[in-house]
Amino acid sequence: MSFADDPDERRAQAGEYVLGTLDGETLAEFETALAIDADLRAEVGAWQDRLLGLARRAPPLVPPPALWARIATSIGGAEARPASALASATPSPPSAATPTSTPPAPIFAPASAPTPTRPPAAPRWWQRLGFWQGASAVAALAVLALATLLVLRPPAVEAPHYLALLQAPGGAEVGWVVEARAGGSLRLVPLAPALGGTPLPAGRALQFWTKPEGAAGPTSLGLVAAGTALTLPVSGLPALGERQLFEITLEPVGGSTLGRPTGPVLYVGRAVRL
Amino acid sequence: MPITASFDHETALVACARGDAQAFRDLYDHEGRFLLGVAIRIVRQREAAEDVLHDAFVQIWQKAASFDARLGSGRGWIYTVVRHAALNHLRRTQREISTEDGALEVLLDAAVPVDASDDLDTGSLERCLGLLDEPRRRSIVHAYVDGYNHAQIAARMQAPLGTVKSWIRRGLLSLRECLS
Repeated sequence: MSFADDPDERRAQAGEYVLGTLDGETLAEFETALAIDADLRAEVGAWQDRLLGLARRAPPLVPPPALWARIATSIGGAEARPASALASATPSPPSAATPTSTPPAPIFAPASAPTPTRPPAAPRWWQRLGFWQGASAVAALAVLALATLLVLRPPAVEAPHYLALLQAPGGAEVGWVVEARAGGSLRLVPLAPALGGTPLPAGRALQFWTKPEGAAGPTSLGLVAAGTALTLPVSGLPALGERQLFEITLEPVGGSTLGRPTGPVLYVGRAVRL
Repeated sequence: MPITASFDHETALVACARGDAQAFRDLYDHEGRFLLGVAIRIVRQREAAEDVLHDAFVQIWQKAASFDARLGSGRGWIYTVVRHAALNHLRRTQREISTEDGALEVLLDAAVPVDASDDLDTGSLERCLGLLDEPRRRSIVHAYVDGYNHAQIAARMQAPLGTVKSWIRRGLLSLRECLS
């Protein structure tokens, strides 16, 4: 990044990011840097608090009761968290009710994302155009950056090689990277302070899942420790291919007892072939 | 000033990450009216502001687990989610904001509204803003409160784009120093 070596430029850009005046390429570059630069995230966090008092220049306005009802419906009623993106393997039928679910997203194509079994009253996060547009733009840039690094290495093996960036739903933050080589091993590497940040809620664990494109359901790849890399033999996966879904969900200690994700999705992404 | 228990946004977000719908409701009850005020100021339409608040709260619920208390306060994080949702709405709709509206200028300079349940301290920020040159202060306030981009601030303040960028950049760095 052009501002990497100029502390004032980093500070000012972090402030402008919070302010909302970064746009276009500058914004995209900044968000890519944010995904891999913990100090920059700290600066953004500090700016969020520094400028917060300005929010009180806008006079409060009491929301109508119907607004809470809409929000409660969208998050799946009173208690149920939105189901995991992997929880239902039902292929998404063409539906006039979710016209925004097919953005041109090269990496995360929601057209093939599963649909929840109950009819949603409002689009789920993975059906929302804004999320996928934002996520795919950031992911595309990050993939480009990582792919460049990988390409610069001498090609040791010719086996197909895959990469997936796991992002927080609705956010630009890349938390984990999955790298796998056919016939070799899969590595899951933490990037962000990956849930790293907040301590895990008591009685909860992180579980790693995968669902190959077209597979009937997700397969658990085991529990992972926050901020800790994991290496697995690819032979333990149901398959390995392009657009394969990987995700990390919050589950009870010991993992989901139902053989499928039950908790909220913390990070999710699809594999691209390098 | 009435004594109010201050709301613990961090605890509420951690509870949301666990799937605690009551904590989410409490958060909404506590911040909803402030955040709808923030959103409507940026998108300028009641219905659009409600859509923004809806989308932002769904995001807050979904993303609660990615909130990192080491980086900043829960309230700062929540307001950023809402403001960025409002700004994204503007970018999507590319709606031109009228810079002719004199009524909003009055609002801009109005005193901070008093709300009995408001426990947000704005004193240090207001003091430091008061130390900035007027163009720098107004540029930053227009950007944060009105959601104006560089071009809109330039039009509003009848200044070249480059000048506005410099006002904001230097203003921010001065604020940072003043608040440190």
